[in-house]
Amino acid sequence: MEIIEKIKTNKSIDNQTEIQEICLNKLQSIPIPNPKSELWRLSNKSKFSNFLDYSFNEKNPEFDTPYPNTSPSTIRLLIGENYQIKLINKNYSIQQLSEDELIKYMKEQISCFDKNENWSDLLNLSLSCKKNILGLKINGSKIPPIEIFSHASSSSLNAKTLIIFLEKNCDVDLLQVNLGKENSSLSQSTFFCLKENSSVNHGVVSYGENKSNLLNSLNVIQQKNSKYNLGSLHFKFNYARFEIRIKQSEGNAKTNIKGMQITKKDEQISTYTKIGFHGPNGFLDQINKSLADDKSHAIFEGSIIVPKIAQKTDASQLSRNLLLSDLAQIDTKPQLEIIADDVKCKHGATISQLNEEELFYMRTRGITLEEASKLQLSSYFQEIISFIPVSKDRWDLLDKLLTEN
Amino acid sequence: MVNENLVKNVVKEPYKYGFVTDIETEKIGKGLNEDIIRLISQKKEEPKFLLDFRLKAFKKWQKMIEPDWAGLGYKQIDYQDIIYYSAPKQKEKISSLDEVDPKLLETFDKLGIPLTEQKKLTNVAVDAVFDSVSIATTFREELAEHGVIFCSISEAVKNHPDLIKKYLGTVVPASDNYFAALNSAVFSDGSFVYIPKGVTCPMDLSSYFRINSGDSGQFERTLIIAEESSSVSYLEGCTAPMFDTNTLHAAVVELIALDDASIKYSTVQNWYAGDEEGIGGIFNFVTKRGKCLGKRSKISWSQVETGSAITWKYPSCLLLGEESIGEFYSVALTNNLQQADTGTKMIHIGPKTKSTIVSKGISAGNSINSYRGLVKMGAKATGSRNYSQCDSMLIGDQASANTFPYIKSQQPNSEIEHEASTCRISEDQLFYLQSRGIEFEEAVSMMVSGFCRDVFNQLPMEFAAEADKLLALKLEGSVG
Repeated sequence: MEIIEKIKTNKSIDNQTEIQEICLNKLQSIPIPNPKSELWRLSNKSKFSNFLDYSFNEKNPEFDTPYPNTSPSTIRLLIGENYQIKLINKNYSIQQLSEDELIKYMKEQISCFDKNENWSDLLNLSLSCKKNILGLKINGSKIPPIEIFSHASSSSLNAKTLIIFLEKNCDVDLLQVNLGKENSSLSQSTFFCLKENSSVNHGVVSYGENKSNLLNSLNVIQQKNSKYNLGSLHFKFNYARFEIRIKQSEGNAKTNIKGMQITKKDEQISTYTKIGFHGPNGFLDQINKSLADDKSHAIFEGSIIVPKIAQKTDASQLSRNLLLSDLAQIDTKPQLEIIADDVKCKHGATISQLNEEELFYMRTRGITLEEASKLQLSSYFQEIISFIPVSKDRWDLLDKLLTEN
Repeated sequence: MVNENLVKNVVKEPYKYGFVTDIETEKIGKGLNEDIIRLISQKKEEPKFLLDFRLKAFKKWQKMIEPDWAGLGYKQIDYQDIIYYSAPKQKEKISSLDEVDPKLLETFDKLGIPLTEQKKLTNVAVDAVFDSVSIATTFREELAEHGVIFCSISEAVKNHPDLIKKYLGTVVPASDNYFAALNSAVFSDGSFVYIPKGVTCPMDLSSYFRINSGDSGQFERTLIIAEESSSVSYLEGCTAPMFDTNTLHAAVVELIALDDASIKYSTVQNWYAGDEEGIGGIFNFVTKRGKCLGKRSKISWSQVETGSAITWKYPSCLLLGEESIGEFYSVALTNNLQQADTGTKMIHIGPKTKSTIVSKGISAGNSINSYRGLVKMGAKATGSRNYSQCDSMLIGDQASANTFPYIKSQQPNSEIEHEASTCRISEDQLFYLQSRGIEFEEAVSMMVSGFCRDVFNQLPMEFAAEADKLLALKLEGSVG
């Protein structure tokens, strides 16, 4: 808990920026997340304190080019690299946000933070120094797919922040990759603002190495007629927590989320989502899959909030879970809070293991048990993976999951 | 929209059980401390073990904090401003119903509870509880012939102390939660049922709870024990007069089912809900839990919750015995400013256990209706199954319907399925029914009753009819 001590005593960061100062002040006045809070009740206490144990590191480690290599058809960006981005083409433009724009927007965001919900963001923004914040303004269409990397260095805690403005009528595929290193903690916060008529296929792939930790939070604001598709995959983390907060600020927007988390050994990976509809005619289709093996623990908690103004909302949420070992655990809590009466809202949850009848059928056709299980798993994974942009062509995630699992 | 207002007008009917019986009562002073508990125990001439049980619970209660996780907004309860014992004055010992104060009989008559001989034809044995004490229990002799014990818990303490000592507090321990601890310390009366081995109870058993005084709380305790291969169906009803103060009702119900036994527990809760401005009404904080201790045992809860200003109630099943079954069927209706936070907990501990949850919530007016449930598969619950279904119906755009299902599994060889949906009475459906010549109000009530059908089918016949009527009355004026 070294970092917390530092935060409490205000010794954490030299040369604080304005944003860091605001967040530090807020952070000091609220308690550290603990099991008494509903949002953190299942978080493994020792794993979470392990996350905070590493000493804070502002410097960026050497970045060993992750697989696959860069390609001319994709734009690859690294959070923390100190470069000026200005890609202007006849169809599109990708530019870095000016400091004023960035500060103004972040101040607005921080003023709406809920002290319980946004603890991860407050921690992130208190620690993220100027060069570890990447702000982008994307405009136009026919934009090549963008890959954005965020990574931690061994034996330290890194904080990275990504802010993206998607201008009107813009359409983009964006893959965010968070890489954990051995004995590391990564705090990643992402802020997405989708203007009218914009659309994004957003992928989040996070994978770690031995004993890496991740606190990943994603805040999305959707203006009307925007479309947000999110495909996410989290695996190989000692402790990972993925928080998704989506706000359809004027309704009339579409959100599709397909997420998956895979836990092994004694890992704990959790996903928390909160989808708020603040206008009529909102649409949500969400599916979250978990797979827990060995002694691991997978958690999904999703809430859908439909206030009075959000008439004609159509929201569905499904949590599908596979429990593969006697010692593994799955917790799920799909939650609905509805006031508007003219809405279609439903949710479902299942926890089971691989379907025995299907396995039996395949075995009667001469497929070995191992192969049959693999086939089943691959169809289970495929639904999510095919939804993650860029990955299809460049990241053979399915092979990675199947060979490693 | 014409229909909007019409539908809203279908849920208003004055609370017809809101009268007060003018009867001399014996009350003790307000407040809660060790002396009060000793006094209650002394008044009830209880053995020492029970007094110790109460005092231990009181000590635990003092250290506990009132839970606030349900997010129910109600004003702080002053536990020192409540009378913990209130009983109608009557002759010491009653040998037959003729000796019961006619005013009391009249009260239960007005409530439609058959206590008097000529009304006993309905073949339901009734234990009537008025404020803190049990007034009368009918059909006792007939039940005794079968070995069934059905009496008030105070009598059971005197006549069957061994059973009470063995089972009281084993399902809901005194330290279970704040309100259970309070109940364990001050419980006044309630029903006790014991079904011996191999007996199928020849008639439905029923208890009727009536709160009469405005400043006393009601803390009843029910204990039902079904021995091997026995079965019983138990009904519970409750009403209270209209007061503009809030009255506290904190009950504990414990069910124990041994091998092959089955218990069906049905409730129609119609406590006074407060007026349209939310003034008055009962705070209903109840802990109900059943333990399926034996193999192939079964506990089934069915409830229709229409009353109370605040309801905080989670009838649960602990499924310990192999192949035991837990069921929960619930309809919760809230109107005006009522708040209901209700659901169930199905804790699968033994192998091959099964549970079914069907919950229907209807919220109208400015009310809040939440389903909060837990399904847990323990590490040893191999081959267990759960199916849950939670549907909500919203009437008007001011009411809220929430669903908070907690699902936890530690057993790969088990299956959990949960589904929930939200709907409303749509204009299309109303139009269709009306175009077939069905009156508007009838159409609404048909649709509500259709929505609740899965649950009503589980209720005993007398109750199902009553529940249907009750919903129609309660909804009168709210749909429109």
